[in-house]
Parts: sequence; structure tokens; C-alpha cells
Amino acid sequence: MSLRRSTLLLLVLATAATACRSEEQRAAPPKVEPLPKLASATQADLAHELDQAEERGTWAEVKRRWQGQTLRWTVTRQRVLCQTAEACNVSAFPVQRPAPVGWLPTLRFAPGQFAALESRCAGKDVCEVTIEGKLERLQVSAEQPTNLELTGVKIVGAQG
Amino acid sequence: MNKLYPALGALSVGAALVAGGGDTVTASSHREAPAIAEDQYVDNTDVYAFISPASSDRMVFVANYVPLLLPASGPNYYRFSEDAHYEIHIDNTGDAKEDITYRWEFKNSLKNGNTFLYNTGTIELLNDPDLNVTQTYDLYRINHKTGAKTRIMDDAPVAPWNVGKRSFPSGYEQIALQAVTTKSGISSFAGPRDEPFFVDLHVFDLLGVGGVPTTDGVNVMSLVLEVPITEIAKDGNRPAAGDTSPSSVVGVYASASRPQVRVLRRNRASDDYGNMIQVSRLAWPLINEVIVPLRDKDKFNRSAPADDVKNFGAYILDPEVPKLLNGVLGAGCAPTPAGGRVDIVGLLSPNGTAAADLLRINITANQTNAQSKFPNGRALADDVTDTLLTVACNNGAAIRDNVNQNDKAFTATFPYLASPASGNP
Repeated sequence: MSLRRSTLLLLVLATAATACRSEEQRAAPPKVEPLPKLASATQADLAHELDQAEERGTWAEVKRRWQGQTLRWTVTRQRVLCQTAEACNVSAFPVQRPAPVGWLPTLRFAPGQFAALESRCAGKDVCEVTIEGKLERLQVSAEQPTNLELTGVKIVGAQG
Repeated sequence: MNKLYPALGALSVGAALVAGGGDTVTASSHREAPAIAEDQYVDNTDVYAFISPASSDRMVFVANYVPLLLPASGPNYYRFSEDAHYEIHIDNTGDAKEDITYRWEFKNSLKNGNTFLYNTGTIELLNDPDLNVTQTYDLYRINHKTGAKTRIMDDAPVAPWNVGKRSFPSGYEQIALQAVTTKSGISSFAGPRDEPFFVDLHVFDLLGVGGVPTTDGVNVMSLVLEVPITEIAKDGNRPAAGDTSPSSVVGVYASASRPQVRVLRRNRASDDYGNMIQVSRLAWPLINEVIVPLRDKDKFNRSAPADDVKNFGAYILDPEVPKLLNGVLGAGCAPTPAGGRVDIVGLLSPNGTAAADLLRINITANQTNAQSKFPNGRALADDVTDTLLTVACNNGAAIRDNVNQNDKAFTATFPYLASPASGNP
């Protein structure tokens, strides 16, 4: 009887110790791998990967690779689609037929940078600018249309 | 001249262009995307919004579903889907997000399951005991600002199918109109009507058209709603004449949704589970049909208008239609400007509203039925195909399809659409 009781006690203690270890393991912060920088991260690269995802269903992979990347893209700003800092979408590709994608990236500007955009475009309704920003959100799936949002956007160059 | 869209004012007097000896047309939104073409009962075909011809204080909405219906389609005639939500959404603040939704939910009834007949005798009344298969609906109004959902109509009747002269010896229309239901100043009709959209569908044979009215003689399932304008205006106040703020117009779109999961059972029909998923939406004619390419059409139907610019803006900036008109018909359409078709974006964002595929209509106090003309709303008789092709081609000349009106006249009284074609005339 005494032996059985001791065995039972040992078993309980062992189980508790295991549980504690598991708890410690669970509580350990996950190791965060730095996002590998893409060798080439142009809008054409993204469009190409999205085309492949359409065929292969690799939406999650595209999102994992691209979301969080800092991108430097030359885009077209149409004033009617980017009238304020709060409502700004731009064309990622030159206008062409047929349009290679439907999405127009949403821009969230770093402080003062919408004014910089206005200044660079110098009153033109349409102008090309080079921007840099973080791809904060990339919506991709088999069910919903693709769209993306760049934050902390800075104007780094302008043409036309 | 239309104040909202001055650039379009000249269209009605523009010279006709018979491009390359032919004409070009498209269908509004009938079977416009692969997935919805497999789910006919929730396929939204056209949306109309116009100030009532009976009263300038009232607005009429028409949402049509279930395209291209043959009148002699028995024994199981067309109807609305019992497990779907059919909705008309209204944005009254200009942000392209719905503020008010009207929702129809349908219920089927069968009096006698021991016969294959839709009706077991002649029909003399809407509630005739010989009308074997019937539908009713509940109509809800949802205020998204307050979250209030109000049932406006309870078990309102759906008009029956126009089976034929033997079933309706005293005439069909007088019975169908018994399905008009009015409560608290709101009128509603649900049921089959003559297809009001006029077009030559031969366009999809490599633009091979010649003015053949291919939608004549077919029917569609219609939802018609007439409400006081104060019901849909921001904060219940109709804007004063001359107001050009974003809330001086309302934006309208229709949709249909189905339950997320359907489980087919061996011994009974099926069980539905999960949230309602939008499977069809429509506002402007032809946007999803000919602006959005095949790979994104189903996604368009799942998405919300408020996201149209970020999702599909590039397609709108450079539509495919002018290229086809030039390539096939030598129409001489203007090349796309370097910055894209920002003029079309402008049409989709009148009075400072957010650009989106919404049918927008001015609701200020001076507006009347005569001013409800696409793209300021859309009247039943509007030749939207001509208008949109001309806008798309953008070379200063009008393009016409030579199908210029419906085969049946529209009526001056609610529900305004013509009586459906008979299955046995």
C-alpha cells in the first residue's frame, strides 16, 4: 500500500515537472527570423509571382516573402486618384493594354511627404515619381482581389 | 445639360458611327463571370435608379436577377432562391460604403406535392388555390449607422410566372400586379418581368453584331422598390437644390449572397451553414462584364465597391474595349492618354464622392424623373450601351449599336417594367 502510494506520488510529481517544462517551452519567445531581402522586388516581380500563385495556389508564400519588404518603385501619380495624403492610390505600371494587374497600391506617407509629392509633381495631373516605403499589407488570396498598402512612403525622385 | 456629367451631355446629339460597317454591343451583366454563370438564380443582371415619374419626392430602385429566361420554361418555372439574400445597398455619404441596405429573403410554398403542375387549374387571383407553387418574401431595411434592422414587409407575395393563356384566361398582368405591396409609404414588387435591357448579344462572337435585339422576348426576375427620398438621404434630410456636397448624391449597388457552406444530404435537399458570402454585385452596367478581365471577375463579385480603386483601378484606367473596337472594327478610338482614362474615374466619383462602381444619382430637391438619365442614375429606357461605348472609344463621335429601345413599352406606374413574355401566348 505504501509503495503504491509512493509510486503514485512520484508519478504526479513527474507529470507536474513535465508540464512545467512544457509551460516553460511554450512561454519561450518564438525565434523571429529576419525577413530575407528580395534580390529583385520590382512591381513586375510581384505581378509575376501573383500570376504564378493564381496557377499554383501559392498565395501564402507570396505574402510571406513580400509583406514587410521595403520597396523602391517608380509609380504614376494621377491626381484624381491621389488627391490627399489620406486617399492616395497610384499606378504601379505604365498605362498599357491590357493592364497587367488591376491593383493600384495605396500609399500612407511619412510626415511631410505628401507635400513633397505635390511639390515634385508641380501641379501636373499626371506625373511619375519614385517612392520608397514598407509593404505593410499585401492582400492576396484565391477568393479576394489583390491589393497592397505601402507605409512610411517617402518621395525619392520624380520625372515628367 | 446634365450638371453632374457635363461631358456626357452631348452624347444624345452625337453623330452615329457605324464603325467598319458594323456595330458593337455588349450585355449589361448577364452571365458576366465564370462562377456566377454557374449559379443563375443569384446572377444580378442590371440595376436601375431613377426619381419616380409619379412623384419627385420618391426614388425607384430596380435590381434584376436570373438572366435570359425563356418564357416557356416549365414545369419548374424560374423564381428567386430561397437560401439567398438579395440586396440593394445605398451610400448616402459619398465614401462608397453602404449606409442603408434593403434585403429580400424568400420562402417557397407548395400546396400539392402529388402533381408536377405549377398550377392545377386556371388562375384568377394571386392567392388562387390552384396556384400550386408560390413564393413570399420578407423585406428588411438595415441602417448601418445605427445597426437597426427593421422588417418592412412580412410574407409579401411574389408574382407568379406567366405560364400561358390557358392558365391565365382572364389575363396575367392584373394578377401579377396584385403582388405590389405597399407599407409605410414604401412600395415593393418581386417577380418576373420583361427583360428591359436591350442589346445584341452577337457581340460575343468576335464583335459580330448587326442590330439584332437578342434580349427581346425573354424575361428576368425583378425586385422593384419605391421609397421616399428622405428614407435614403443622409440623416433623413433631402439635400437642398444646388447642394454639390458628396451627400447630394446617393450611390447604389445590388448584390446577392449565399451561405458559405452547403452540405448535400442523401435523403433530403441540403443544409446550409456559415456566413452569407456575396457572390454577385452590380451597379454600372458593363464594368465587370467588359472592364474586369476573366481572371478577376469572380473576385470582383466577392468584393466591395469601396475597394474598387485599389483592387481594379488599373483596369478602369485602361479599358480593353477601345482596343477591340479598333482592332476588329477599325473604329478609330482615341489612344489612351499617358496617365490613363482619368475621365472615367471622374464619372465614377461625381460631386467629390469616392471613386467606385456605384450607380450614383443626384437627390437634391430640384431633381425630377426627367433628370434621371445614366450616368445620373439609370432609367429603364436609357441606351447605356451606346453611352458607354462612346465614352470608351473617346474620339468625339458617338458609337451606336442600332438596338435602341426595348421591344415592350415601360409603364408610367409602379412597378414600371413591362409584363413578362408569356410561356404560351
